[in-house]
Amino acid sequence: MLKVLIPTIMLFPTIWLTSPKWLWTTTTAHSLLIASISLTWLKWTSETGWTSSNMYLATDPLSTPLLVLTCWLLPLMILASQNHINPEPISRQRLYITLLASLQTFLIMAFGATEIIMFYIMFEATLIPTLIIITRWGNQTERLNAGTYFLFYTLAGSLPLLVALLLLQQSTGTLSMLVLQYSQPLQLNSWGHMFWWAGCLIAFLVKMPLYGVHLWLPKAHVEAPVAGSMVLAAVLLKLGGYGMMRMMVMLDPLSKELAYPFIILALWGIIMTGSICLRQTDLKSLIAYSSVSHMGLVAGGILIQTPWGFSGAIILMIAHGLVSSALFCLANTAYERTHSRTMILARGLQVIFPLTAVWWFIANLANLALPPLPNLMGELMIITTLFNWSPWTILLTGLGTLITAGYSLYMFLMSQRGPTPNHIMGLQPFHTREHLLMTLHLIPVILLVTKPELMWGWCY
Amino acid sequence: MNPYVLATLLSSLGLGTTLTFASSHWLLAWMGLEINTLAITPLMAQHHHPRAVEATTKYFLTQATAAAMILFASTTNAWMTGEWSINDLSNPIASTMFMAALALKIGLAPMHFWMPEVLQGLDLLTGLILSTWQKLAPFALIIQTAQTIDPLLLTLLGISSTLVGGWGGLNQTQLRKILAYSSIAHMGWMIIVIQYAPQLTLIALGTYIIMTSAAFLTLKMSLTTKINTLATTWSKSPILTSTTALVLLSLGGLPPLTGFMPKWLILQELTKQDLPIIATAMALTALISLYFYLRLCYAMTLTISPNMINSTTPWRTQTTQTSLPLALFTTAALGLLPMAPAILMLTT
Repeated sequence: MLKVLIPTIMLFPTIWLTSPKWLWTTTTAHSLLIASISLTWLKWTSETGWTSSNMYLATDPLSTPLLVLTCWLLPLMILASQNHINPEPISRQRLYITLLASLQTFLIMAFGATEIIMFYIMFEATLIPTLIIITRWGNQTERLNAGTYFLFYTLAGSLPLLVALLLLQQSTGTLSMLVLQYSQPLQLNSWGHMFWWAGCLIAFLVKMPLYGVHLWLPKAHVEAPVAGSMVLAAVLLKLGGYGMMRMMVMLDPLSKELAYPFIILALWGIIMTGSICLRQTDLKSLIAYSSVSHMGLVAGGILIQTPWGFSGAIILMIAHGLVSSALFCLANTAYERTHSRTMILARGLQVIFPLTAVWWFIANLANLALPPLPNLMGELMIITTLFNWSPWTILLTGLGTLITAGYSLYMFLMSQRGPTPNHIMGLQPFHTREHLLMTLHLIPVILLVTKPELMWGWCY
Repeated sequence: MNPYVLATLLSSLGLGTTLTFASSHWLLAWMGLEINTLAITPLMAQHHHPRAVEATTKYFLTQATAAAMILFASTTNAWMTGEWSINDLSNPIASTMFMAALALKIGLAPMHFWMPEVLQGLDLLTGLILSTWQKLAPFALIIQTAQTIDPLLLTLLGISSTLVGGWGGLNQTQLRKILAYSSIAHMGWMIIVIQYAPQLTLIALGTYIIMTSAAFLTLKMSLTTKINTLATTWSKSPILTSTTALVLLSLGGLPPLTGFMPKWLILQELTKQDLPIIATAMALTALISLYFYLRLCYAMTLTISPNMINSTTPWRTQTTQTSLPLALFTTAALGLLPMAPAILMLTT
């Protein structure tokens, strides 16, 4: 654990002391080194599953894929932001990269925490750098509203979580995940306990987001700069999923009945947000709603609490993280060239950017869950386990899959195929940096087809 | 102000608080509180501005009323029980009256109405003294007598203070009024836990003093008193804008900043005492206050140039103020959360 934490903390002096000429090169290289060291976490050596450096920081097969995703994403974020941050004064550039690095630190500590209170504090701590990235470096006036929605939706859910965690500590005496997984099942039989159950989960459901409380997500994703959108879509949403998976262990047997409305809301959300995607004119907004749709499926998988559900959830989280981040990068390349997110203004791009069309193609195929990509793996496992729970869910999930294919195809055809309008003939060609960015996103997705055991979580 | 006069007044302020800290007899405690009131009155009125004089008058009247009620409560207790010592406020009438008087003294809702207008009329340093130093002596008395006061009263005072502090601050553009409502809200947090764990009240008071001092000293350093002028601080001192944004978020209670520590510990204590509903209610009222702290962050830091500034840009001269206290308080206001075990041990 220290092999990664100490280099991450040393990233801060690197950022502030490097000469301006080498700033971006050095930080990208440093974070790539951290990412490659983090791959060593994927070797699980212990029988209990937990690999711990001390009592308070440990990794297990559930947190390891998410940790690797987090560490992998930092160099990608720095690569993606290079173009639009470079014109700014040097100390502001350093400040931006510092915010990304501090997000990284908080996320590593959040996924590696064994005490749930430590996870909570780091979960909340990620809010501040994200808020600053969205509101300070976003490009439109709506970014202030987006920051407010983001902060208040998340906090309104997580303050009851804090009280619920303190109540849990009161009744079981500990909040260590290492211990709680072996504790006696709690006697949960009163109305007060139902509120406690809700308090434990609402914060993560808001973060995921669940359909009814998802309003912050389109705002935040759209108004954020590319690095903000990437980290939000790829990792911060998964904090919600991860938290839910950790908490569900303790919440039986109430979950059998109480999860019902949330599963239905999540499934309905897949259809609703998928349908919204079909009618979007704003490219980033489409990708944001597609994130809500996929995470609805993840939420359903987690709330079902079966092995296939959990495995499917974590596979879909990793795959969706990489693919959604890739789509935001592609949208950003269009935005940097046309300075507009409207899809009609950047269409027919295959003629002028043929290699990029390949990236669009692969990213959209991954988004619609083409076999054998891990997106399909996750979706299929979740759909199967939902069918096992209730055969009627196949109507919702099948329709959801159809609509997902619909809007992914719509996104591809709208941006790549069709007549190229005259006003975009003179756009800058793609940079090697952007091709590298897309490669680094999509190669892991393809490679994970060959060894999906890395992602299967506890049920491997 | 004449330095001799200033020295006398400041040392009288110190004397008053020390007397109240050191006293075990009600009359001596009352005397300390009165010395504090009398000593700060000339400090408040030193700029003979009508608003400052009005603020001074309001402050003097409310504090004198409160002090008279304290005297009345202690004499009632002495008449009923024969005890003059502070720990033995056993008569319920006396203890309730005393709590009401002290709520008026420190500005707890529903006795908070004087606070915003008084703070608005003062210059920033005197406002700082009013928000921080003047709270110490009354809290010394409350902590000593908390066990005898009706728990329902304390809880009601606490919750209504956080609610009023949140809602009242939402419509303000003057920074001193915003800090006044922030003070009311924080007092609410301190009062709610005093019957269960007085050391958490001390921690809350300590962290509040640190954060408010950082806020006031920032405003003094950049000479701003309203949101419009706050938007120009980026040109005076860019580093100050970024650290102050974090100090404001710390006042709002966001982890991992220091302001989260008292809230966390107080919520923990409340859940230990089987009061989860009150704990959730308190936590959610903190969100209301967070809204106007966030608005200040937006105005000051997160919408930096090029932006539309609604006031004339000021002359940017080199500042002659000493910045060490500001630096110390800002660092403490941002980084003390990991020290929570040490701080808990210090106050237990």
